Amino acid sequence: MGITRRDFMKTSGVGLGLGLMGGCAPAIKGDFAPKTGRRVVVVGGGWGGTSAAKYLRLADPSVEVYLLEPNQEFVSCPFSNLVLSGVRTIDSITFNYKGMRRYGVKVLHEAAGAIEPDRRRVRLGEGWLEYDRAIVAPGVEFQWEQVDGLPANKDVVLHAWKAGPQTVALAKQLQSMDDGGVFVMTIPPAAYRCPPGPYERACQVAWYLKTKKPKSKLIVLDANPNVISKTALFRAAWQAYPNLEYRGSNKVVKVDPGAREVTTEIGDRVKYDVINLIPPQRAGTIAVEADLVGADKRWCEVNHLTFESVKHKNVHVIGDSTIGLPVPKSGNVANAMGKVTAVAIAHLLAGKEPPPMAPGNTCYSWVNDREAIAVVNAYKIEGGKVVQIEQKLTPGQSATVGQNAIAWATSIWNDMLG
Amino acid sequence: MRTTQTLVGTVALLLALGWSTGAVAGPLDARGASKSLTCSACHGFAGQSPSATVPILAGMSADYFKKAIQDYAAGRRPSTEMEPYAKAVIQAGLDDVAAYFSGQKREPTAITVDPAAAARGKTAAVQCALCHGPDGRGDSAKGVPDLRGQPVGYLRNQMFLFKADRRSPADERLKPLKALMKTIPDETLADLAAYFSSVR
Repeated sequence: MGITRRDFMKTSGVGLGLGLMGGCAPAIKGDFAPKTGRRVVVVGGGWGGTSAAKYLRLADPSVEVYLLEPNQEFVSCPFSNLVLSGVRTIDSITFNYKGMRRYGVKVLHEAAGAIEPDRRRVRLGEGWLEYDRAIVAPGVEFQWEQVDGLPANKDVVLHAWKAGPQTVALAKQLQSMDDGGVFVMTIPPAAYRCPPGPYERACQVAWYLKTKKPKSKLIVLDANPNVISKTALFRAAWQAYPNLEYRGSNKVVKVDPGAREVTTEIGDRVKYDVINLIPPQRAGTIAVEADLVGADKRWCEVNHLTFESVKHKNVHVIGDSTIGLPVPKSGNVANAMGKVTAVAIAHLLAGKEPPPMAPGNTCYSWVNDREAIAVVNAYKIEGGKVVQIEQKLTPGQSATVGQNAIAWATSIWNDMLG
Repeated sequence: MRTTQTLVGTVALLLALGWSTGAVAGPLDARGASKSLTCSACHGFAGQSPSATVPILAGMSADYFKKAIQDYAAGRRPSTEMEPYAKAVIQAGLDDVAAYFSGQKREPTAITVDPAAAARGKTAAVQCALCHGPDGRGDSAKGVPDLRGQPVGYLRNQMFLFKADRRSPADERLKPLKALMKTIPDETLADLAAYFSSVR
């Protein structure tokens, strides 16, 4: 069921000049769209939020679904490391939200201000949207303050860990580096978004340097003692990159852009020409402010069958913000969580018991311009919990796995946004 | 009067937006639908794969689907991706998932092929007709799959796997098929894939 902005304005009688697909809006005041039926508000249009919104409309077309996402475009984190190496363009991993309208999802390109679980509403501008259930999918936020010198230098010390302008900017820094330069990337302690992502990035940067700037060097400073995902496969891939120097248990605690230098926990100073500092992470700010995080103040615990927060009723949390399931913080998992939550909420709103549904995870990493490796995790529900059945790794790297990666991306982007 | 207007307005609003107070059956109410949702990440919603190398599950015969899952789970069809997922499907309920996908209407792949390759493939396809029929529709009663409209990359890859005896190596029923594949050059297998993918 599609709904145009004009229809919406006409039938809802809302006189605000807020475009359903964005635009300059005057201040939103009061109840933005008085609720007349059952409504779910989804906060965040990433891998989890889009999947939840679309599949909720498929599960029960009578439920009104709002998706709140400030960005006009969706940029895929998976495959974004290939933009650094110039193998792909940012445009090839950038999509719009128009496909969501076909399912009757009401996309508002606005940032949700806060969640008020007691009043069942999401703050929006100076007003609010009421909900029967909310799905919070804000992704991760960086703990800037954990690295001395980082808060004041966010613009020059790039993370490129949320695909978009920073990805392009870091690619430019890499391309502009003189041959013979040193590229330093830092990996935060687990848990963080996409466990194999930094090691894939190391492959892409090393491949680029080997191909285009053979006198240059990549130093990887990892806060973790060893490669934390696909360890043997990455180690094997790195045999092709003598320009890559990996240092485990090297947590970076300070950055000084003036001196072009980072400092590790044990006091080692490492000079760089280009820095890529991936900061430590926690759940998105809105989840922290809504008191959805646990005692660690970082991540949100949820029911494994419904993804309802263990702290607040009628608020579900999905994606990278969650903790406690034996799953990685991956886009594929967020997509699966979105679908499970959509079906669960459709059942709960209809007064029915949600069916047990387990997520799945397929995760590809590119080790050069055409070869990839993969890890696959399958799960089941046992005793009300998500339990892993099996984890399987590709026997090695290959172009065939690379082709499978492309097929996976084509399909899952469509599963969210198409 | 005012109440009537409000009521009419409310009803119009509900009709316009398709809202009602009760739950409305969606496309996920079919048998096995919720158990099949994990699959859509790679195989597309309702098994309608949008990519070049992942098969369309929509309209696949339940018996063929079940054999494939059992072979993947047991490692007879080696696949890093499918072995774990096949085990998950068996845990969730193989009959339900097979019933769901076989009940979905298959739309041919949107991935286009080189018309010249498809034309060459059509000529070469006479050797496949004995089992798959002249247009590749197969025979589900005999466990012969319908090849029409499957993505070209998937068909090509499977023929290469048969030719190299890397798919279900000990399966007696596949021996004649593999013997035939060994006689066909790789380029012709690619043409055959293009042809069967293009059949509507």
